[in-house]
Amino acid sequence: MSELFVVGLNHQTAPLDLREKLAVSKDALRPVFETLRARGLAEELVVSTCNRVEIYGSAENGPAAAEQARALLAERAGADLDGMLYAHRGVDAVRHAFRVASSLDSMVVGEPQILGQVKEAYDLAQQEGAVGTLLGRCFTRAFAVAKRVRSETGIAEGTVSVSSIAVSLARKIFGELGGRRVMLLGAGEMGEAAARSLAGSGARLAVLNRSPEKAERLAEECHGEAIPYEQLTAELVRSDIVITSTSSPKYVLTVDVMQGVTKARRMRPLFIIDIAVPRDVDPRVHDMGNVFLYDVDDLQQVAEENLRERKRSAEAAERIVEVEVAEFEAWRRSLELTPTIVALRKQFAEIVKAEIARTTPRLGELTPKQRKSLDKMASAMVNKLLHAPLTTLKKGAGQPEGGALIEATRQLFDLDEGEESEAEERRRESERPRAAKPELAKG
Amino acid sequence: MSPGIAFVATALAYATASLLFLAALLRGVEKAGRAARYVLFASVGLHAAYLAVDAFSATAPMGRVHSTLTYLSLGIIGAFLLAALKRPNISVLGAFITPIALFFFLGSGLGRSVEHVSPEARSFLLPLHIAANVLGLVAFALASGASAAYVLQERQLRKKRLGGIFQRLPALDVLDGFGLRAVSVGFVLLTVGIVTGAFFAYRVHQGSVVTTSQAFALIAWVLFAAVLLLRLAAGWRGRRAAIGTIVGFLCTAAVLVSYMVRAQGGPS
Repeated sequence: MSELFVVGLNHQTAPLDLREKLAVSKDALRPVFETLRARGLAEELVVSTCNRVEIYGSAENGPAAAEQARALLAERAGADLDGMLYAHRGVDAVRHAFRVASSLDSMVVGEPQILGQVKEAYDLAQQEGAVGTLLGRCFTRAFAVAKRVRSETGIAEGTVSVSSIAVSLARKIFGELGGRRVMLLGAGEMGEAAARSLAGSGARLAVLNRSPEKAERLAEECHGEAIPYEQLTAELVRSDIVITSTSSPKYVLTVDVMQGVTKARRMRPLFIIDIAVPRDVDPRVHDMGNVFLYDVDDLQQVAEENLRERKRSAEAAERIVEVEVAEFEAWRRSLELTPTIVALRKQFAEIVKAEIARTTPRLGELTPKQRKSLDKMASAMVNKLLHAPLTTLKKGAGQPEGGALIEATRQLFDLDEGEESEAEERRRESERPRAAKPELAKG
Repeated sequence: MSPGIAFVATALAYATASLLFLAALLRGVEKAGRAARYVLFASVGLHAAYLAVDAFSATAPMGRVHSTLTYLSLGIIGAFLLAALKRPNISVLGAFITPIALFFFLGSGLGRSVEHVSPEARSFLLPLHIAANVLGLVAFALASGASAAYVLQERQLRKKRLGGIFQRLPALDVLDGFGLRAVSVGFVLLTVGIVTGAFFAYRVHQGSVVTTSQAFALIAWVLFAAVLLLRLAAGWRGRRAAIGTIVGFLCTAAVLVSYMVRAQGGPS
């Protein structure tokens, strides 16, 4: 029976320059698969992102195949990777795949990209015909686990990037953002990103800049409207959300300016995001009624708090992973079960056939009816003899000790050797007649 | 089932729902929020059963103060459940609104005596007067629940404490809009209540005596008129409007307390 394994390294075990060196591009994937196949792997899949390089695979001889994968990575790195590589086999490899896909093993726990990256790795491996039953099931389950983890725990809740925090805060003030007016003041990169994601949520964007060309260019890029800088105050009165990211060394929105603005706005809430360093807005503006001023530090703090919250959710996610790993294990055992049963039946049937062939000549000429009865008796005996062990095996497949039971059956009846015809021949000659005879006599 | 047992069962159900809503808001337990809604539906059933059982012992249900209060609490929960069905994101407000209903329901257990309605006051207008007042109060209770959430939410935004409670409560604008609509509806109803009330006062007292409760009712009405006027005409909104709503509601609740005191034989 094939065994799953994973060998790899990630952001926690290896430095970035090494991860970069080992990264497998899409074009380089085929030779890697071919090499692994040549070295005895039955299935293979490579996950290569900026934070991890991992080879998943399955093989009859798990430990040897894992060693081959490890050797391949070391060859690619041109260095000794001792202490940086991790290797998991069997259940542990399945757990690792589930945790990676669920973003539990990511640098930013709960980040959504990894699931897409793993899915892409799976698709690529499938295109190359490198995915079989075990890896196929393991990864389709991993995607389902990731989905469960996202929907049932808070692991993906609370945004952790500055621009998405700005959007979620705006939503907490204004509800739906459709039709709200966003003003972008200045041309900082982070400010642009925040304005873009707000505009993406349906808000209308007004761009102000001391340089009209810059304002025009930005407005065009973000599907907004360029407003002459002289209309700053009027635009402040009209806007719901203001993002400032100018390079001005002193406050652009002073308390004086804002006092006039808030008076004209009456009590409509105004959300100001000051992304500039040094700041564009006097911090005292936050104390004015119905104005909420958040600067970069505030947003960063929210990001850190959300990250801590995610780590707490990760515990619930780990429990989901454990349940799913156990289910996968039960499925894998049922997979072992079927060939075991088939092999066991085949072995018994062959013994009976051989013994009948040996005995019938001594019985003299048999009528077709006698012949039929003899066959019937033999197959009834096989069925009755196998009934109890097969029932126990089937029942055990869903239990934790089921694997051991299947293993014991294969050893007791020597089923693993059964596929090699030479060994089978030898056994048929020497052992079987002696073992089979008394049983037949008993029947 | 005796009315006493039904009363206690209903009160316990409201209390359980309140605690579950609080757990959902404070701890973010999603299951608690769902359970709270189920318990609240069950409470409405219990409450209806209590009213049915109690009706056997009551001569004029609408004329009894405790019945008024019990209808008020039932109305608050019914209106809240309906509103939450339409807008699921406000169901977290159950943490503010269910305790208000529980408070009135417990209050209804205090005044067991039958209010003496003078013969002059008996008229088809009496049920209208009571129904308008009760429904007006229901609207104000919902509005002040939303307003309390607004004040809390605004405070967290101002202090930049954006934890779980902040995430679970609806957006400021949603709370503000909900409050405005509820106050508008409540104001119309309370106006009807005041006008009919003044009519009775004139008939009973020939307009010569202004009772405490009438004074309170007038104050509450004036406060609400002021809040509404400031909202609509002067553009009041947000925190100030929310606090105004809460104050107005507390005054209105005081009217009820004064009714209760009078019903139990206190000074009118």
